[in-house]
Amino acid sequence: MSELTLGRAAVDRDRLLRLLQDYGVYLGVAVLLLVNIAFTPHFLSAENFRTQAVQVAPVLIVALGMALAIGSEGVDLSVGSVMALATSLISLYLGYGAWIALIAALVGGVLVGVANGALVAFIGVQPIVATLALMVAGRGLALVLLPQLKDVRDPGLRSLGTGDVLGIPYLVLIAAALALLVAFVVRRTTFGRQLLAIGDSRPAAQLAGLPVRRVLVLVYVLSGALAAVAGVLATARLTASDPTSLGNLMELSAITAVVVGGTPLTGGRVRIGGTVAGAVLIQLLTATLIKHDLPPSWTQIAQAVVIVLAVYAARERGKR
Amino acid sequence: MTQTVPHRRTASRALLAAGLVASLALATGCAKSEDDNNASDKGSSSAANENAGQEVASPDGGKTCDIAAFGGEKADLKSATVGFSQSEKEANPFRIAETASLKAEAKKRGVKLLTANAQSQFSKQISDVQDLISKGADLLVIAPLNSDGWEPVLRAAGAKHIPIVTVDRKINATACKDYVSFIGSDFVEQGKRAADQMIEATGGKGTIAILLGAAGNNVTTERTKGFEDRIKEKAPDLKVVFKQTGEFAREKGQQVTEQLIQSKPDITGIYAENDEMGLGAVNALKGAGKKAGDVKIVTVDGTRNAVQGIVDGWISGVIESNPRFGPLAFQTLDSFTKGDKVGQDIVIKDSAYTKDNAESDLSKAY
Repeated sequence: MSELTLGRAAVDRDRLLRLLQDYGVYLGVAVLLLVNIAFTPHFLSAENFRTQAVQVAPVLIVALGMALAIGSEGVDLSVGSVMALATSLISLYLGYGAWIALIAALVGGVLVGVANGALVAFIGVQPIVATLALMVAGRGLALVLLPQLKDVRDPGLRSLGTGDVLGIPYLVLIAAALALLVAFVVRRTTFGRQLLAIGDSRPAAQLAGLPVRRVLVLVYVLSGALAAVAGVLATARLTASDPTSLGNLMELSAITAVVVGGTPLTGGRVRIGGTVAGAVLIQLLTATLIKHDLPPSWTQIAQAVVIVLAVYAARERGKR
Repeated sequence: MTQTVPHRRTASRALLAAGLVASLALATGCAKSEDDNNASDKGSSSAANENAGQEVASPDGGKTCDIAAFGGEKADLKSATVGFSQSEKEANPFRIAETASLKAEAKKRGVKLLTANAQSQFSKQISDVQDLISKGADLLVIAPLNSDGWEPVLRAAGAKHIPIVTVDRKINATACKDYVSFIGSDFVEQGKRAADQMIEATGGKGTIAILLGAAGNNVTTERTKGFEDRIKEKAPDLKVVFKQTGEFAREKGQQVTEQLIQSKPDITGIYAENDEMGLGAVNALKGAGKKAGDVKIVTVDGTRNAVQGIVDGWISGVIESNPRFGPLAFQTLDSFTKGDKVGQDIVIKDSAYTKDNAESDLSKAY
């Protein structure tokens, strides 16, 4: 009898925990929104939501690629450096026009992805080590290509950063479209299913005859390309190429967004909706602390708390 | 399971590697950036701009040092080798102008100059300086990354009686014993002068936001202290209502300012502790549909972009932090090695840019 109740309590606790892990991020966003609506002056305005959405867009785009990497039981630490590389390549090729510069930046991101993927899939280097190497090399290369900040004058690229359609900034539209695209890829395509199978168990996927290597390379190529897109958009918004600081600590923000959003670090599962909410959560948290002029060190501490909570949730999930 | 690698795969790997290298070469080879010619012209002219050399703010005040007090022997600077240790990568206008100025002055005087760059790693700077000493530097100019931790270097240099001049940042050691002189700006004074400009631009009334530099940096704390003290003292109706870090970077300055103008749309002025954050603030104001001059911006550094910002009406004033240490550093070393007295604390006079002189002095900005 008592065993039975204990069992039921454990099941309830388990279900509650799982609900919190799956939907806690939405709850967090809702709470932060309510707190801000109640206590932050001028929070409920179209302009303010526009600002938050524009600021979160590059982080979200990077996080989408990160979600794929984490879903395959990997990680991509090179994303911030890819952003820097993209911004350097834009400046370097802008003389040919904005489109060529955009393509150069994307090619840069794809090449870093190929290198990451080759190291992980063919040579068998741990993702954290392989992408760490590219993180260091990528930033270095970006600074070799463009040793100092350079202004971007191209009007087309500038309007990409500031323009809008019916009041919705290009940046937000692009981020939303990419989120839908990646969600579709994960849920509806063979590649998506193979990715999750590999993330679940690579040996099993191998035994089942899945093209493990090809899929893994593609995962890192997508992550690199998405980070390059984020780098392009951030450059357009800044109207300058700044390879020294662009994308610094972006890998941490992206991993946080993904993990807070309920994607387990153990792979086999990708939650794009949660990732979007995770990115929004971090953005709102930072915005709240800045708007209320709390000491900058608090922002870092608050972010650390969110990361610890997210990792705790991931740990609980990993045990099951 | 055995891990045999077929030849085909080795070949494909080699191909991949070759492809990567080739595309890299291609990336740098056929690059063509916007206004390439202008950029290189600008770089050389501003770096070697002789009109913009430093002046000493208080030439005769303070303690002095000469070679008799320091120990060592007189020498002729012309036949000496000078080692220069730079702290950060020459990726921002200040460091670029600083290194270029020292190189230009060494060339002008015909002095052999050895250089090293610590890439923002303090341990590398320590070994850089030791390398410079072992490569035969008779005199050292150091742009220190940190104030503390110089013991090993000072011991090695002291054993050989190598005179050291530190530029732009001080080290925690005894002047005229561990090192000869420090040449640099007074960051507290820069903050005070920025406050003066802010008071003038705003008429001494309203609310002010501060974009702080990187945390834990003496430049940040001193530029903040000078500014806040002067505001309190001279303009009690000017209130600092917002202080957030922009980490000396344009992107962060822009993001923080975007949050600021959402929550405090009627802010009167923004004090940015370097030009880059100020330019980020300008981006944010433009994005929010503000017009030039709606919010008064005062920044510190004196880079060309910021001074151009005054000409365009977006920035009210820029306090200069002059990076051209070359002439003064070599002049100090020259006097010292001849046996003359030199100041222990040589504080340089930084000029300022306002709408009155921005256009005419634009060429002096770095």
